[in-house]
Amino acid sequence: MREDWVVDAPIVGREYQPPCPDQVIENVLENVLHFLTARRDRNAVSLVCKSWYRAEAYTRSELFIGNCYAVSPRRATERFRRVYSVVIKGKPRFADFSLMPVNWGAHFTPWLSALAAAYPWLEKVYLKRMSITDDDLARLSLAFPSFKELTLVCCDGFGTSGLAILASKCRQLRVLDLIEDELNDDDDDDGADWISCFPADGTCLESLSFDCIEQQINFPALESLVARSPNLKKLRLNQFVSLEQLHRLIVRASQLTHLGTGSFSPSQNLAPPPGPGGNEPDYGPAFAACKSLVCLSGFREVVPLYLPVIYPVCENLTSLNFSYANLNAQELHSVISLCHKLRTLWVLDTVRDEGLKAVGATCKDLLELRVFPIDAREDSEGFVSEVGLLAIAQGCRKLRSILYFCQRMTNAAVIAMSKNCPDLVVFRLCIMGRHRPDHVTNEPMDKGFGAIVINCKKLTRLGISGLLTDEAFAYIGKYGKLVRTLSVAFAGDSDMALKYVLQGCSNLQKLEVRDSPFGDSALFAGLQHYYNMRFFWISSCKITLQNCRQIARTLPNMVLEVFTNMPVAVQDEDEFVDALYMYRSLEGPRNDNPSYVRIL
Amino acid sequence: MSTEERRIVVLRSSDEEIFEVDIDVASESQTIKHSIEDDDSGRVIPVPNVDGHTLAKVIEYCKKHVETPRSDDRDAQDALRAWDTEYMKIDQNTLFELILAANYLNIKGLLDLTCQTVADMIKGKSPEEIRAMFNIKNDFTPQEEEDIRKENQWAFE
Repeated sequence: MREDWVVDAPIVGREYQPPCPDQVIENVLENVLHFLTARRDRNAVSLVCKSWYRAEAYTRSELFIGNCYAVSPRRATERFRRVYSVVIKGKPRFADFSLMPVNWGAHFTPWLSALAAAYPWLEKVYLKRMSITDDDLARLSLAFPSFKELTLVCCDGFGTSGLAILASKCRQLRVLDLIEDELNDDDDDDGADWISCFPADGTCLESLSFDCIEQQINFPALESLVARSPNLKKLRLNQFVSLEQLHRLIVRASQLTHLGTGSFSPSQNLAPPPGPGGNEPDYGPAFAACKSLVCLSGFREVVPLYLPVIYPVCENLTSLNFSYANLNAQELHSVISLCHKLRTLWVLDTVRDEGLKAVGATCKDLLELRVFPIDAREDSEGFVSEVGLLAIAQGCRKLRSILYFCQRMTNAAVIAMSKNCPDLVVFRLCIMGRHRPDHVTNEPMDKGFGAIVINCKKLTRLGISGLLTDEAFAYIGKYGKLVRTLSVAFAGDSDMALKYVLQGCSNLQKLEVRDSPFGDSALFAGLQHYYNMRFFWISSCKITLQNCRQIARTLPNMVLEVFTNMPVAVQDEDEFVDALYMYRSLEGPRNDNPSYVRIL
Repeated sequence: MSTEERRIVVLRSSDEEIFEVDIDVASESQTIKHSIEDDDSGRVIPVPNVDGHTLAKVIEYCKKHVETPRSDDRDAQDALRAWDTEYMKIDQNTLFELILAANYLNIKGLLDLTCQTVADMIKGKSPEEIRAMFNIKNDFTPQEEEDIRKENQWAFE
């Protein structure tokens, strides 16, 4: 519509020629690509034509490497020239359960060398299940003057001396998140005092997480650090920080949004017996002042008597991690009944079915629930059951992700969850005792898991357990078309089970199988699919070395690694291998494997 | 009529349409702004690469964005974003003309808005769909295309 500022509009003689889209976009392609960040989109763009490939390679700012051995650092850095942020993943998840030999690999060092040479402007590094040394941390600090964010999840190989160098040299550091890492010097008494090494005149820190460090830290230095870090929003302390110390920190940092509370118990050297109103400060007001707090974790050695101090912040909490907190049902109830906005909850099974009923009654917006076992042994007592699962199914209809450890379960409860929670994307049920059937009907758990894949149409990740026959796998193969990750333990009758999955689940990316009766013919069933997968792990099953060799011959770009937990190589061709880990790679077999990891 | 003198500039599109525009609005374009600074005599400023239909649309954007005061107020920001979304409900030809115009006239906000719109069209699409949408010729050999597809899938996804 013309506005009143158009004075004149004479007749135009020239014929209108619409612009050519490809030429128009060519001029502004980099600007357009700036708004495309998802990997899938970037990969699609790179295939459009040669000039788009070049523009995309030049503008991709986050580099994601799902398997550090699938591609070489050189190939990655030669293609992408202006990367600011790198994500690299190494070992498969079963490494967390000591199923992988020590020193298996996934070393950060060769990646660091390539990144340092190619991207001196690098700002962010995120590593998951990689080995990173103190030397690596030192080199990283020197190589990247603009370095801002380091996140290490389930990593190992480094210690506090590496952290000390990082803290002192990376003056623009905003994020240092150490999550479930295993530090080298955890057993030493003399770690480096890394907390004291941050810049003395003030820091840019926004997030500092060190709850996995199993050592004392210099508390006065930590207090001073918090005081001179005005942008700090996320602070996660380790279990060596007492309640009084926590109090001293949060009175200086009431702007925190995420807090890992450390031990949440009074220090040992308080003279009178601990209890509110004594020599102790009144903790309540300090917590109440933290009006922005939305995420609480820690509670490593929680003394439930003190839980009331967090009541004022409960109404705003969206995330609560009690997975280290030995709480009973009543103690959980006192907190949970105030948490109406909760979206994420992690608890220990000590809260029992009663505790889970309280969750179902209050947390109507819950999206993610994890219930961990306090005692993860096969024959442990088990404090939650189908009763708790049912309570959650009835109360938390928006649930998207669940991880549930128990010793007793029924098909009926699992079926109920499949119907009540259709938005489930992740369903992981771990019935810890081997081959446990439905404890009411004594039937296999096939129908339950079948219902999950049939009714939960968005399901991408599935973890199964209990007594399962091939029928369960037939359901998964037939209905689990979106499943990308599948975890199987102690399940199945025959090779048909694995065949159903390998031939049916067209989107399967990651398959981890342990202690199940699958043999060589099952492995052959997946030949068509293995190149589409990120990896396949299978251990303590009936796979022979000979068969592994056959697969390696048939699929030249698959790397097959065969090993045992013990530093002893597999010898006999007909012997069952302890573990086979296979993945596609553009580079062929790696050369940094320890001697007892055999690559075929 | 306000007593304050409002300065007007006169723009002429490629197809001889004349637009009288507030100087602040016209100065959203860095190109026009420099033109004014270089020559303040008040003559007509030609905009040879942009036709009347497109120039009108450009002026509409500049006017709205000059009139809306910068604010931290969430509601005000949402309202402007909503206006931008409505504004971008245009046919593909107009979209491409706008991109060319925003680029030539050097109007960052408009260029970002139009490029974001194109990016949104690309999201979730396959390479074949993207080519079809923008009439782009595939100049890869089948082998080249296969190699990139494999590298993308195995290494970078």
